[in-house]
This record gives sequence, C-alpha cells and structure tokens, in this order.
Amino acid sequence: MLNVTIDGKKLEAKDGETILQVCQANHVRIPTLCFHKDLTPFGACRLCVVEVKTDGKWQLASSCDTLVRNKMEVRTNTDRVKESRKLAAELLCYKYPSTKAVRDMAESLGVEVPEGKADGSDCILCGLCTRTCHEIVGVDALKFLDRGLGRSVSEPRIEYIADACIGCGSCAYVCPTGFVKMEASGDRRVIWDKSFKMTACDKCGRYFAPEEQLKWISRKTGVPMSKLTVCTSCR
Amino acid sequence: MSAVSFSSWNGKIIDNRTGKAARVDAGVPTMLGDKSFTALMGWNGLVVSGAANIPSLALGYLREARKLSCGECSVCSIGIDRIAALLEGLIAGRGKKQDVAEIERVARGVMELSKCNFGRASAVTPVLDAVRYYKDDFLALATGKKGTTSPYKTAVTAPCIEACPARLDIPGYIELIRNNKFDESLDLIRKRCILPGVIGRACTHPCEEACIRNGIDQTLAIRLLKRAAADNDLASGGGALKKPTAERPEKVAIVGAGPAGLAAAYHLRRMGYQVTIFEAFPKGGGMAAVGIPDYRLPKNILEHETRLIRELGADIQYNRKITKLDMDELTAQGFKAVFLGVGAHEGTRMGCKGEDAGYEGFVDGAVFLRDLALGKPVEPKGKVVIVGGGNVAMDCARSCLRLGFKDVEILYRRTRKEMPARAEEIDEALEEGVKIRYLVAPVSVLADGNRVKGLECIRMKLGEPDSSGRRRPVPVKGSEFKVKADMVIPAIGQKPELGFAGDVLQVTGWGTIEVNPETLRTNLEGVFAGGDCVSGPATLIEALDAGNRVARSIDAYLQGRTFEPEMSFKGIDVKAQRALGHVDACPQEKVSLLEPKERVKSFAEVEAPYSDATAMKEANRCLRCYRLVVWE
Repeated sequence: MLNVTIDGKKLEAKDGETILQVCQANHVRIPTLCFHKDLTPFGACRLCVVEVKTDGKWQLASSCDTLVRNKMEVRTNTDRVKESRKLAAELLCYKYPSTKAVRDMAESLGVEVPEGKADGSDCILCGLCTRTCHEIVGVDALKFLDRGLGRSVSEPRIEYIADACIGCGSCAYVCPTGFVKMEASGDRRVIWDKSFKMTACDKCGRYFAPEEQLKWISRKTGVPMSKLTVCTSCR
Repeated sequence: MSAVSFSSWNGKIIDNRTGKAARVDAGVPTMLGDKSFTALMGWNGLVVSGAANIPSLALGYLREARKLSCGECSVCSIGIDRIAALLEGLIAGRGKKQDVAEIERVARGVMELSKCNFGRASAVTPVLDAVRYYKDDFLALATGKKGTTSPYKTAVTAPCIEACPARLDIPGYIELIRNNKFDESLDLIRKRCILPGVIGRACTHPCEEACIRNGIDQTLAIRLLKRAAADNDLASGGGALKKPTAERPEKVAIVGAGPAGLAAAYHLRRMGYQVTIFEAFPKGGGMAAVGIPDYRLPKNILEHETRLIRELGADIQYNRKITKLDMDELTAQGFKAVFLGVGAHEGTRMGCKGEDAGYEGFVDGAVFLRDLALGKPVEPKGKVVIVGGGNVAMDCARSCLRLGFKDVEILYRRTRKEMPARAEEIDEALEEGVKIRYLVAPVSVLADGNRVKGLECIRMKLGEPDSSGRRRPVPVKGSEFKVKADMVIPAIGQKPELGFAGDVLQVTGWGTIEVNPETLRTNLEGVFAGGDCVSGPATLIEALDAGNRVARSIDAYLQGRTFEPEMSFKGIDVKAQRALGHVDACPQEKVSLLEPKERVKSFAEVEAPYSDATAMKEANRCLRCYRLVVWE
C-alpha cells in the first residue's frame, strides 16, 4: 500500500496505480478525452494534467500515465492546473472549432468558446481507436501516422489498413467525437469505407457480426465457425 | 567569429546590446561546424551576433519544429501552429499588440504541458526567448508595418544521434516501432545501417550512454529495439531491399565485404552504380563474420543481410583475395573508382620472447576466431590462457568454454575499470566461468619442444594516465611468475595487412591507410579507403559509417561534384537542456539471457529478443529529444 497526498488529503493507493486511477477512486474529478480504463494510457490530450512535487518543485504531469509513488504529493485544483487545462482545451478548440466533444469539454473548463456550429466530428488524434484495435481486438488495422525527422507526412493522422480490418466496430464505439462512422443496411456494414458482409443469427435471424470478424475469432480461439452462428443474446 | 551581442543559451542571459560587453560562456555556440551565423535559434536558446531579422527567424524555427512535432499530443503541434499563425499575422501587418503576449502565453504552455521532451525542450524555447528579449522587434510589427521574411538554414540532431558514429535517426525509428510500424522503422534504420540485425546484436551502442533517460531511470534499449525491427522483418520472410530507380554505367570496385564494404556497396547500388566486391574469405561480413562468435551473432542473420545486398545487384566475389593493388588492371576492367575496406585482421605482437617461434598451441585471437568461424576444428585440451582485455579477448575466452575447455583464464595488464570490452561482455564471461587475472602481463612464451606449455608473466601496477586517458600499467620489478597453459591466445589488438598495396599507398605511423578524413580519398587517384584499415580496429557501426560516407564521396567524385560533409554539431553540448519537467521513471524492458550453465554447452544465441509488444512498450519510453537549430 502506498500513501499519497492529493489536494492535501492523505489517501491510500496500490502499487502500479496511476494518479488518475487514484483520483477517480476517490471522487476527485479530472477531465480526460483520450483515456479509457481498459487501455494503456496515451497522454495525448493533456487535459488530465496535475501538479506533482518533484525534487521539491511543483511540476505539471499528465495524471493518466504517471504512476503514484509512496509519499507523492499531488495537486489537482490549483490555478496553474486550471489554466493549463484551459490552454490544452483552447488549443484543441483552435484546431477543431466545430467538434462538439471538444467544444463541450472546453466550455466545461471555462474556455470562452467562439461562436460557430458545433456539429462537426473530427479526428482529434486521441489514439483510442488505435489502442483498441491493437490491445483489445489485436488486428492492428489502425495505426498512428505521425511525423518526424525525414518523414514527409504532411499532417499526422490515423492510417486505416483495410486488409487487416475485420469490421468489428470497436473503433466506432470508442471514438469520442463520432469521427469513426459505422453504418448498417441489410446484410452489409460499412466502416472506414470498407463494406462487410454480416452474418445472421441462426436462431433470431438478426445480423450480429461481420463474417470476417467471426473468422478471426474462430482462428484465434480455435472454436469452429459452425459454433459461431448464434448471436450472444440467443446463446 | 564576430562578437555575440545576445545569448540566452542554456537559459543564461548575456546581453551586450547596451554597450557593456559581458563575457561569453564557453558553452555558447558561435559557429556551426565551419559555418558562421548572424543569428541562431536552437533548442537551448537564441544567439545573435549581427543584424538579424528575429521575427522571421522565429517563424522559420516554428516551421521546422512543426515538421518534428509528431502530432500525438495536442499541445505541441497545435501550439506551434497557433504561435506560427500569430507570428505570420504580425509579419503580414495584420497583428495586434496582444498577439505578442499571446505568443508568450502559448509558448510557456507548450514547454510546460507537452508530452515529450521535444515539446518541452525544443519546440518553442528560443521563440519564447525571442519575444521576451527582442519584444520591440515584434511590437513594431503590431503597428501595421509589414515585416519581411529572410531565408534560413536548418539542422537537426539528438543526444543519441550525435553519439552514434553513423548518425541514425534513433528517435525516428523508435517512434515508428512505438506505433507498430516495424517495417517503416526498418526502412529508416537501413538508410544509415544496412546490417540492422547484426548491429542490433553486436553494436557497442554509444547512443545508450547519451540517452537523456540515464538521468531519470535507465537508457532506452536502443540496440534491442533495432534488433526488434530487424527480427520482425525476418519473421515475416525478410523483404528485399528497394531497387535503384535508374542504372548508371560507372563501375566501382570494393575490396573487402566487411561492414564498410557492404554499406558502400548498398548505397552505391541504390544510386545505380555497378558494384563488384572482392572478398578474401568464403563469406561476407568481415569481422562480423569471422570475429564475432555465433552466441552473440548467429551467422544466419549476417548471411541474410549480406544476401539482400547481393540480390540488390552487388557482385560479391568470395575467395578473391587481392594480393596486389594494380590500378592499371582495375582501370582496364573498367573500374572508375576503388574502395579499400580490407579491415584489420593481423594480430598485434605482444612484444614478448617466443611469440614469433611458431609454437604449436600459440594462436593469435583474430586467427582463432576466424578459424572457428570458418569451421576449423579445435581440440579442447587442458588449460587455455588469453591475453588482453578487449572484446576479442572476451569472444575468444567465451568461445573456448563452449568448445569444451574446462579452464579458461584471461590475463589483463590493467584492472577491470580500464578494460575496453563492453561491461555486459565481461559480466557474461564471468558468469559463464571465465577467470580473469588483472594487472598481469606476459614476458615470454614457455614451450616444451615445439609445444606451448605456458607464459612467464610479470605483475603490474597502475601509473600515470597515458594518451588514452587510462592509467598506464607499470611492471613490478622482480615479480615474475609462471602460468601453465596448453594453449595461449594473444588478443591485444589488430592492424591492417597492407602488403597488397605495395609502397604506392600512403600509410600512417600506426600502419593504417592515410585518407582525407572527410572524403576518405587516399593519395591515389580514384582510390578511397575506410573502416578498420583506416581507423585501426574499431566498431562495426564506425565501419558502416565509413561505408555510408564513402558512397556519397565516390558519387561526388564520379559526377565531378564537390563532396559536402554533413552538418556538424561539434563543440555544442547537445545533451544540455534547460528544464525537463516531470518524467515518470519506468525501468527498461528486460530480455532474458540463457542460463550460464546452458550457454557454455553450445554456441546458441545468449540473448533473447523482444516480442513486438514488448518492443512497443520499450519504445514508449523514448523522450524524443530532437534538437533543432535554424540560423541565418
């Protein structure tokens, strides 16, 4: 058990927990856009920033990917923290002025959001979809395309690898802005512009999963395809 | 050099604009290699030495920083965009006074809030200095007067890149691994390291010593990450190298298929030249093939990487030892340029009695390893004594254990601290049962008839430091003693065999080939040299660098262009930075090693690889310490 002080309150934490996890367990509210409890933290949105005492100095750190240490001191509600979160939200708003999720977040942090339509859905590069695809689904159909020395990627973006995609739709569920769209009509599902043939449940007749996803599950688990013809509700 | 009128380098303000001249620190850059500047913006500050357009240079800096900002965390890339837009507005005469304060506010935020060390240390640091200390230049633009933009030059490095002899884009390839793009990572590695699987196993990795993480927890496992990129490719079948876009008619001869020769061949082939390599041994790789045992570098890795270069069209002729450098003959065969990368394969003499007697059981270390690599059987009988403290000595000792020798002892004339072998090599040797006796030097080789039976040695003590900075060993008078041995392997260094060059080639006092250090040209027209035969025994990665550079130099020579050396950061401390902020300590991902008991039973590879998932996790520790400079 570790002892930590958050906003002056002495709290207990388990080894391996992040500051964000301890805060959430103790009802200390911290804004996030790129965090999901089942995924490795990514530290992209910088909204979860807190102050941590490092070598006697208060330093800013993202709480989602900073582990708690014994006797750590953390502050989550100072002016510096609030201003930093506001700046992070402001910058997101600057780049994605019409994205509803971003505007809502910025407003909740006290940013004066400029007038304009709030119906957009941009990719804000939060990495939730890439992490889900890699860590949960395990097919790696979505990868970050970022820049650096000697690479001529004009703007960072998410790369979609159609051949690897099984159409499971996890990325659409996890996307915080609605950028990843999934549409269903009849026996087809369209996601990231790739069309998938859906399998109907043997019992209720409902289309419940793309064929490619069932094949993937069968290959991965060794369960024969013939045993995967019933949807979860009828099983 | 002109006097510095302003500097904020390292966060220390030197302001001579008021007329009072302040002393300039030794750490402030006043030149970039051989280039001077009127103003320079770098990750660590702003240096001005003449009349300069500071707002324009700041905009140039931001444009270059934007290319390096990966875009993963919102603050860095969007922050740079925001500041650049405000600055563009000011320069175009559309700006307001408040914009200058806003630039300051956002720049502070980027430095405090960014995820990685590029955003924190490099992305906007000198721009913040510029608006603070050259505020009037910016405010003047807010009065409706249009500004101008001037051209600028730019260069990028990182502490790890700077430490690497071949200057690989280390943060770049690590980032691609982090993002699960192993194939692209390998492409990036190959631009400067055409033997990634070999280097990923056997490199001395000076990059890891320079890693900024050393000051926080532990270096990135840079070598193992390179190996992960190479292993990932090999696991999926090992793709071919990219073919040249166009063929060129000029023929280039390369002597020696070692790392230098192979790197030169690869780059020259990529440029379209017709390349022939003459190799004395029956296999390629030079010291990587005949000097590094299988347990450190399995031969199939080197064979695969050599084969790829051959398949790219380099004609490697094995068992073709060049015994005489006949330029007329090479010219007659149509070769327009020659690269000598013959290595350093001849053992250095110990300078003790009896070493030239040709005793049975007395074998030079390089020869011993070569014979082993080429399949010559060795009978493991009795005790073997190895003399020397370098990697070759370790390789010989550990190989002897694997051959079945029960008693393996290394004699070294200094102490563990001065040993030139890699620390992990020494540790692994000791774990396996190699004994090391320090502060001992041989005086004469003892023999029974024609057969070695031991060494007469003398004890040493450490004296004053020598030219290498290590303390010089001094013999202790009257301390002679005998060491029994059935086999003696001196491994105290090698030098090139240059007999083939006759007396036409200029050589140095150390018996290496004399070259122009930039162009690698020898005294003979059209003849270049590099690698161990120029540097003396050095590392694989230094040889690869020579091969990379000589390809560019030969290309310039054949096309009648002047060779442009790469931008140099020499004299600038690229590790220094102002504030790092809070970085969460997290230990390096470990790989497993074979149990010492298992290791000595065979030549099986000791070190296990990273899985792809572990490699991605380790790559996530990289702080991306790109260092950017722009100047005018």
